[in-house]
Amino acid sequence: MPRTELLQGTLDLLLLRVLVLGPNHGWGIANRIRQMSQEGLSASQGSLYPALHRLEIRGEVTSEMTPSENNRRARVYTITTAGRRRLKVEQKGWEHFALSMRRVLETE
Amino acid sequence: MSRLIAYLRGIARRRRIDVEIDEELAFHVEQETERHIALGLSPADARREALIGIGGLTQTREASRLVRSTSLDAIWRDLQHAIRSLSATPAFTAVALAVLTLSIGATTAIYSVVDGVMLRALPFPTPDRLVAVGEQHIRSASAQDLNLAAPQNFLDWRAQQDVFTGIAAIGYASISVRPENGREPETLEAQAVTADFFPVLGVSPIIGRTFTTESEVDGRAQVAVISYGLWQRRFGGAADVVGRLLPGQRGDFEILGVMPPTFAYPVGASRSTEVWIPNVFRPEDRVRANEYSYRLQVIGRLRDGVTLAMGQARMDQITAALAAATPHWFKDRAAKVERLDEYLTRGVRTWMFMLLIAVAFVLLIACVNLANLMLVRASVRRRELAIRSALGASRADLARTLLIEGLVLSLVGAALGVALAWAGAAVLRAAIPPEVPRIADISIDLRVLAAMAAVAVASGLIFSAAPVLQFSRPVTGPAIARMLRAKTTPALQWLRGALVTLEVALAVVLLVGAGLFLASFARVTRVDLGIDPQDVLTVRIRPLTGAHNWQLAQQRNRGLLENVLQRVRAIPGVDVAALVSGGMPLRGDLRTIDFGIPGRLLPRGEDLDFNEVSADYFRVLGVPLLKGRFFDQGDRGGGEPVALINEAAARTYFPGDDPVGRIIEFDGARRIVGVVGNIRHDGPETDWRRQGFIPLHQSRAVGATLVLRLSRNARDIVPMVKSAIWTQFPDLALPDVEMLSGYLGNLIASRRFNMQLLTLFAVLAVVIACVGIYGVITYSVSLRTQEFAVRLALGALPRVIVWSVLGRALIYLGGGLAIGLAAAGTLATLVSGFFFETRPHDPWVYTSVAATLVATGVIAALLPARRAARVDPLVALRVE
Repeated sequence: MPRTELLQGTLDLLLLRVLVLGPNHGWGIANRIRQMSQEGLSASQGSLYPALHRLEIRGEVTSEMTPSENNRRARVYTITTAGRRRLKVEQKGWEHFALSMRRVLETE
Repeated sequence: MSRLIAYLRGIARRRRIDVEIDEELAFHVEQETERHIALGLSPADARREALIGIGGLTQTREASRLVRSTSLDAIWRDLQHAIRSLSATPAFTAVALAVLTLSIGATTAIYSVVDGVMLRALPFPTPDRLVAVGEQHIRSASAQDLNLAAPQNFLDWRAQQDVFTGIAAIGYASISVRPENGREPETLEAQAVTADFFPVLGVSPIIGRTFTTESEVDGRAQVAVISYGLWQRRFGGAADVVGRLLPGQRGDFEILGVMPPTFAYPVGASRSTEVWIPNVFRPEDRVRANEYSYRLQVIGRLRDGVTLAMGQARMDQITAALAAATPHWFKDRAAKVERLDEYLTRGVRTWMFMLLIAVAFVLLIACVNLANLMLVRASVRRRELAIRSALGASRADLARTLLIEGLVLSLVGAALGVALAWAGAAVLRAAIPPEVPRIADISIDLRVLAAMAAVAVASGLIFSAAPVLQFSRPVTGPAIARMLRAKTTPALQWLRGALVTLEVALAVVLLVGAGLFLASFARVTRVDLGIDPQDVLTVRIRPLTGAHNWQLAQQRNRGLLENVLQRVRAIPGVDVAALVSGGMPLRGDLRTIDFGIPGRLLPRGEDLDFNEVSADYFRVLGVPLLKGRFFDQGDRGGGEPVALINEAAARTYFPGDDPVGRIIEFDGARRIVGVVGNIRHDGPETDWRRQGFIPLHQSRAVGATLVLRLSRNARDIVPMVKSAIWTQFPDLALPDVEMLSGYLGNLIASRRFNMQLLTLFAVLAVVIACVGIYGVITYSVSLRTQEFAVRLALGALPRVIVWSVLGRALIYLGGGLAIGLAAAGTLATLVSGFFFETRPHDPWVYTSVAATLVATGVIAALLPARRAARVDPLVALRVE
C-alpha cells in the first residue's frame, strides 16, 4: 500500500489522537502514526516538530525534557484538556468530511 | 536596568531553546537510525535514511525555532520591520512626526502655563484653608474689584474675628537702599505686612524670627525680614545676618530673619518681593473720619472645621455691627471672603481657559489628522496585509505589526514633542505679560506631558490598527484577489472624508479666533493716543522728603529739578526735555483735583486731571496746541497763575465758548491761556479724560518725571541722564527708567500675547488641515489613476480631470467651513470680552477666514489634481 501524503490540517488531528493514548516523544509519535495507520500514513518529519511546537504554544499539549530509555534527554509531549477538546472537534469535522467525500465518490 | 536583565534573559532563553531543539532532533535521528538498522540497513545507510526522513536537519531546526521563539523575538522582528517600513515612506513619516511634535509640544507648553498660573495649589501648608478678605462695592457688579480693605476696618476685623487662626494685612512698600561699595543705589521690592502674615501663610524663617504686632507702630518699625535671594545677593549668605542693618534711605532696618528660598508672596510674581517690613498703622488709621483709603490686601487662614461660608457669615455679622456705628463708612459696601487662590487668579481665569481651549483644538486637529494619515497608510498596505494573511499570518500578527509601527511613530513624535514643550514653556514664560500672577511658577509638569503624549499616542495607535478589523477571518483566494484590486472600502473612504471635514472645521474655529484677536490688536495699535510715544524716554525723579520740611523741600527741589533739566538738555541726542508731575500718560499714575468755574454751579465733585508740567512738555509728547498759547518762561512763581485745559475739558465746560482768558478754580484761581489736544491717558482702550495743566514753577511738586524726546539710542543716553540727575540728587535710586513706548507696550502686552499665540495656533491648524486635505486627495487620486488614464485616453480634457478631483476637496472644505463658521460664531460670543472694537461676528474676519481656508485648501488639493491630469495612459494602464 503506497504511503499517502497528509492532507493539509490533518497532522494536528493525528498528533492529538496519538497523544490521547499517553505522553510520548516526537519520534515515538511518528512511529505510532506509522504503526496505527499500518504504514499507510507517515508524518513528513520536517513538519512534525514545528507542528508539535505550534500545538504547545496553543496550549493543546505541554512538554518536558525527560531522560529517555537510552539515557538521552528527549522532549516528551502530553495532551492537555484543551487538546482533548480540540481533538473532539477536529475528529467530528474529519468524520463529517470523510463521510461527505465517500458519499460523493460512491454516488453512482 | 530591569529591561536589560529581561533582554539578557531573552537571549539566554533563546540559546536554551536552540539547544533543546537540537537535542530533540538529535534524539529523533538516533532513534530513526536504530530503527533502520533493525530493518536491516548498514549503520551509515540507516543514518542517511533517517536524515532524509527528517527533511534536512537545519531546515527543521529553523522551522521549529520560528514556532518556539519567544514573543520578544517577534516584537523585535516587528520593530525592525516598522523602522524599515517607516523609513521607506519618509514623506508620510515626516508629516506624521511633525504633526505629533507640534501638537504635543504646544499643548503641553500652554497647559503648563495655565497649570502654573491657575491650577496648581498655592505653595503653602494646607493651601485650601487660605482666604482673602476684602471689601467690595455691592452695586458695582464687576468681579474685577480690587477687594482691598481700609486700615480702620482691618483693625476691627482683626480684633473681633474668631473664625480665622489669624488675618494679616499687606500693603505696598519699597525700600531704597543707600549705595554701597560703588554700586548704584537700588530699590528693593518690599511689602509692609502685619505680624500675622507669616503664621497665616504657615511659613517660618530659616534663620532668626519674624516681627510681632509690637512693631506696627511708628518708631519701632525699623525691622525687616528678608528673602533668601536678598540674603545671598547682598549678604553673601552670611550666618550672622540677623542683627545687621539694611541701609534704607529713610533709616536703617534691623534684619530679624531670613525666609526659606521657596517662600514667595505674591506667589510666583514676575518681580519677587525681597523685604518684608512691619505695616505701620498711623493714629488716623485707627479712627473713622471722612477720608477713605482702601489700600490693604487682607489674607487669613480659616480655623479647622470652619467653612468658607461660616467665615463669610461671621464677617457679615462683624461688618453689620460696625455699620451700625458708622453707617457712612459702609454704604453699599460689604466684606467678602474668598479662597486665596481664586482671589489671586481671578483676573486671568477666563483668559487662561480660552488659551487652553484653543490649544485643545490644535491637539484635536492633530489627532484627527494623525488618524487620517494612519488610515490612508493602512489602506495602501491592504495588499501587503492580504498577502501576509493568505500566507498564514493571524489577525493578531497583523495587528501587532501595525500597532508596533504606530507605536514607534507615536513615541518618536512624543519625544520630539517633549523637547518642544520644554523650549515652548521657556519662551512663553518670557513672553507672557508681567501682570499675570504666578508667572514664576510656570514649569513643565511631567504628568501633563505624559497625559498629552498618551492622547496623541493613543489616537495614532487606535487608527493604525483599524484596518486589521477587515481580516476577521482568514482571507481565501477570491477574497485576496478582490482586495488586491479594490484597495479600499466605502466605509473607510467615508471615514477619511469625515475626518478631513472635521479638521477643516476645527481649523476654521481657530482661524476665526485668531482673526478676531488680530483685528482687535490692529485696532488697538491704530488708536490715536493724542501723543507720539515713540523715542520718548521717561525717568522718574522721586526725591526723599521728610513730612516736616515739606515746604523747604519744595523750594529746594524745584531748583534742583530745573538744574537737571538744564543739564540733560545739553546731552547730545536729547532733542527736547521737559518735566511732568501729577499724572504721567500710559504709566498708570493719575492725580485729579477739584475744579470749579467762578460764577457757575458745577455738580459737586467735578474734578479734572491735574498735571504740573514744564514749558516744553507738549512738544516732547507731540500734543498739539488748539487755541491760545503753551506755557512759557514767563509763567513763573511770581507771575499770574495760569492753566491749560484739553479739548475734552473745553468741550464739557465751555461748550460753544472760547475758554481762553477765562478764570477757573484749579489749585487756586487761574487764567486759562490755551487749549491743547486730548491724550488717552490710560492707554488705547480708554476714553479721553478731561485734563488740566499748570506750570511746574507754579506748583508744589517735590518730584517729577523727566521726559526726553531722543534722536539717539536710549542705551547711550541713559547713563548720562542718570549722572546728570545724581549731580543734583546724590545717591537717589532711579527705578523707573523706561521708554514711553515701553509703557504702551505693557498696556497692550496681553493683547499682543493673545494675538500671537492664537495666530500661531491658527497657522498650525491650517497647515495641519491642509496636510490632511493633501493626503486624502492624493490618496483618492492614486485610487482613480486607471480611471483617469482611461478618460484621458478617450479624449477627456486635463481640465475636466482637475475639476473632478478638486470637486471632492471642495466638498470637504465646504462642509468644514459651514460647521466651523457656525461653531466659531457661537464660541466667539463667549469670549467677546477680549475683543476691542471688534464684534464677535465681524463679517470681515469671517469672510477672510473663509477665503484663506478655501485658497490654501484648494492649493493643497491642486497638487495631486494636476498630477492626476498628467497621468500617462500607457504607463497607468500597463500596471494592471
